[in-house]
Amino acid sequence: MDILSTGLSRRRFLQASGTAGALGAVGLGGGALTTLREAEAQAATTPGETRITKNICHQCPARCGIDVYTTNGRVHAIYGTADHPISNGKLCPKGPLGTYILYDPDRFKGPMKRTNPNKGRNEDPGFVPISWEEALDTVAERLNTLRDQGESHRFALCYGRGWGASCAGLQGTFGSLYGSPNVAIGHSSMCSDGSIISKKALDGVGGYNAYDYANANMLLMFGVGFLEAFRPYNNNMQVWGYIRGVKVPKTRITAVDIHINTTLAGSDRALMIKPGTDGALALAIAHVILTEGLWERSFVGDFTDGVNRFKTGERVSPSLFEEKWVKGLVDWWNTELKDRTPAWAAEITDLYERDILATAREFGTTRPSIALFERGAHAHSNGVLNGMAIHALNALVGSLYAKGGLMSQMGPSYGPMPVDAKDFMDDYALNGPWKTQPRIDLKGHKDGYLLANNMLQELGPNSLAGNPYKLDTVMFYQTNPIWTAPNGQVWEEALKEVFVIDTSPFPGETAMFADLILPDHTYLERLQDAPTYPFQGWPMTQLRVPAIAPLYDTQYFGDTLIEIGKRIKGPMGDYYKALDNTENVIRHLAKGFATDPGDNGVNDFESWKEKGVWYKKPYIYRFVDGEFYTWDGQDYAILMTEEEVKESLFKTDSGKFELRSGWLESNADWIARKTGRDPRTLMFPHWEEPVHPGGGDLYMVTPKVAMHAEGRGANIPIAIATLQPVLGGRKTAYIEINPQTARARGIANGSRVRLSSDLGSIEGYCKYYEGCRPDTIVFPMEHGHWAMGRWAKDRLPGHCGEITVNQSDRITGQCSYYTTKVSIEAV
Amino acid sequence: MAKWGMVIDLDTCTGCQACTTACAMENNRLPGENWQDVLFYHEGTYPNVKLMWFPRPCMHCENPSCVSVCPTKATYKDPDGGFVLMDYNKCIGCKYCQVACPYGVRFYVDEKAVVQPDIRGVFPSEAGRQWDPPYKGPQDDPSRGIGIQPHGVVSKCTFCYHKVSKAPKGVADLDEDIPELKEYVPACVRVCAPKARFFGDLDQPQSMVNKLIADKRGVRLKDETGNKPQVYYLSGGATASVPSLRSMNDSGQS
Repeated sequence: MDILSTGLSRRRFLQASGTAGALGAVGLGGGALTTLREAEAQAATTPGETRITKNICHQCPARCGIDVYTTNGRVHAIYGTADHPISNGKLCPKGPLGTYILYDPDRFKGPMKRTNPNKGRNEDPGFVPISWEEALDTVAERLNTLRDQGESHRFALCYGRGWGASCAGLQGTFGSLYGSPNVAIGHSSMCSDGSIISKKALDGVGGYNAYDYANANMLLMFGVGFLEAFRPYNNNMQVWGYIRGVKVPKTRITAVDIHINTTLAGSDRALMIKPGTDGALALAIAHVILTEGLWERSFVGDFTDGVNRFKTGERVSPSLFEEKWVKGLVDWWNTELKDRTPAWAAEITDLYERDILATAREFGTTRPSIALFERGAHAHSNGVLNGMAIHALNALVGSLYAKGGLMSQMGPSYGPMPVDAKDFMDDYALNGPWKTQPRIDLKGHKDGYLLANNMLQELGPNSLAGNPYKLDTVMFYQTNPIWTAPNGQVWEEALKEVFVIDTSPFPGETAMFADLILPDHTYLERLQDAPTYPFQGWPMTQLRVPAIAPLYDTQYFGDTLIEIGKRIKGPMGDYYKALDNTENVIRHLAKGFATDPGDNGVNDFESWKEKGVWYKKPYIYRFVDGEFYTWDGQDYAILMTEEEVKESLFKTDSGKFELRSGWLESNADWIARKTGRDPRTLMFPHWEEPVHPGGGDLYMVTPKVAMHAEGRGANIPIAIATLQPVLGGRKTAYIEINPQTARARGIANGSRVRLSSDLGSIEGYCKYYEGCRPDTIVFPMEHGHWAMGRWAKDRLPGHCGEITVNQSDRITGQCSYYTTKVSIEAV
Repeated sequence: MAKWGMVIDLDTCTGCQACTTACAMENNRLPGENWQDVLFYHEGTYPNVKLMWFPRPCMHCENPSCVSVCPTKATYKDPDGGFVLMDYNKCIGCKYCQVACPYGVRFYVDEKAVVQPDIRGVFPSEAGRQWDPPYKGPQDDPSRGIGIQPHGVVSKCTFCYHKVSKAPKGVADLDEDIPELKEYVPACVRVCAPKARFFGDLDQPQSMVNKLIADKRGVRLKDETGNKPQVYYLSGGATASVPSLRSMNDSGQS
């Protein structure tokens, strides 16, 4: 039979040869048998009409505008919005997965209450469906009772990825009307407060920076994960394509991390540093910049006679140096920098002296340049010092508010809320007993974390210990601390004795300890505002528009909060009745655009829905040749006074970039008492050995990877299959281990291993990787869920949080995720 | 008649795999069964280690060996556009094409699921297809390998035929940054954030793909096979490079 020329159809071939079953059986999976019915020839079909709605991706903080494609009532595609300044029509690898999140078969289908009073990992909560009325009434009754008893402070509301004024933005008002210092507690200390607060110590601003990468000629990245996870990831990659492939001159990049990831692989110089020593590297770079006279004189200032006296090991008289926009440079040199040579740093960091010197010279001579860092550098006991040392480099090269430098983010022109909460404060809200209660996490308290912004990781342990008190009821929005907190086992005990309300659309570890489930919509079903995270400085805010009606009996968290508020007795209830619902809130926010329309013409609610984004360029501040200017409509032409700079740009006591931090100095007694630091030097960026708890002999670093879809990646099969490409993961995420480390312990490539710290142990499969430091174990933190859904369940490696000691930076409150040391053994 | 080609710039590719997941979304791929995969390699010894990656779609060869070996003419070269496509109505699942393809970009659909539990069991099909997820794409043309596969066939990248074939006639480049063209651009090209991918007509001298191939020394993978891929790679050796035998032989490599 000449099968090549007969044009034999598949159906006819199967009928004629009788091989249908045999062929099908070749397949390994179930359901592989080919039947005649399946083999019928099938013709093309024409799809129905496709509708595109605007939304904002939910899978990381970047806030990429997305176009959501819906045909025949089904969402089937997501692409970047072409005229959105962050996404510009592009996506990161997570973006397309939104459809899987919407149709996740493990979603909660509606409000539920717990029927099993016992809580634990192995306890079935016995959730039964209830009505929204019953659910909301139950919450309101508990809250009203607490308030009646003068114990409203025992209600806490914790949130993670808050989005905007119509969700997380409502929480603070709820707290002040209701009367609890614990409404709301954000997760920033478990995110990257170490970055925010170490910068605040120097520049007084206290926010993540916006960056002008496209105009920079050198980037020096410390533990950033620029091509894996650093927000806004999608735009970072767009910038990367430009500065590395199009821009002339090509931007030089040095990346510092503890293993070779895609960022280090793509950079000009990869520095694999010993964990927790990034500050030593930064100090040595600063040393070289000063000794070799490479600092930016128009920002920093100069010796009065122009002769450089920064010589290694030699003190300098402060009177000889005239500072411009910095304060304390010579003091810093005399107390710390004069001895911080590359040779010294080489010993600390385990890098080569020649590489440190080359990095310093390149950074000091290639303008504009930016030094950026995140959790890799500051999630250690010395984090604030590492962060300050790195951020100080930006001052030395004059990058603050400069073209090709870094700046602060401006907020959007929102209209006022429908009603003013101040008009609805009763006496309890103004003067109730809650006013004298500390926050449960002891944030802002001398016995806790006086200078921190939040301390969510302390909430569970503190409530369990009854110090300062025990919580009665706790509600969670977009956070799952039993899984995300270090040593989450303590949270499991804590939440056994607290009434827990979870609002996630999905099952999770914290939800398994919940007494009430009030499930949110997923993001493609929501109407939700979302001002940008720090991006390029100019203001921007975005809108999620529902692509389809909610699939299940869920409710947007903002409306859940408003509905609870309506049920609180007194004027607070009246406030929420006046607020009505989140759409009303969002419509009022959009009224601010009427007098300040966006560059894309958005001037009201309807046009915002249509475009999905309001933004207004340019950024209004700029540093040029030694002075600061504001935008006059055509150019940076309006000279700022020193007072204006202090008010808007350097919010320190001196109005300068304080290399000698006045903020830390004013708290020197408390810092010295809590950290043991020398009160004479603790206000300077300086070197301090990090403290590594855990009892092991290897550092454990657990980065967020590119496929880590926040809050849900662990249960998305396609994300699981592509989570860790570097080691050829497919269905397995591996623990990276240097071959020499493994062989010394008798651990074979690909074998099952156990990681242990003082807290316990987890298991997983390891893979040899020469790109991993011999003293460090690396694996993604995404897996090890036990209650997130069918695909996430028990997937190895186990969860790093279970062997991560709850240790925080005393100044920033940053949870030191990457500082625990562990041991590894073959199983 | 166009001859569509793709250019992938390995210098600016960031290895993010958005091409992989966008393809998965657009073409209903099963987890781990990537029509558009990114392969990772590393070589060297600490601390001097080279990590590389290589994005790999179907090459839509001018002279495809998969077509030569197909006993039923189920896989064929579309003369209008140069797509290499599958006709599921003709495929008998013999896998000759999988063996013949030098690039490893063909997939037999009834393999055991990479990620368990098998998502096909969660969203079963009642119409004799592999599965029926609620998020499946609306386009369905089994004679061109578009839509969810039936059992017992081999599947492959279509160059997003369902998009590209609707492009305005005579257009030289399908550039996702041109608003009126974005819907015709293959998913992997459209999402590529660093703009490491370009798609255009190799038969039109003025196309950007031809310019890039000429100026930046575009190469075809395994040109010695004579398959003449319509996918070209640019590589200055900075970010990623064509994998060498050295890395393939390294222990512990996939």
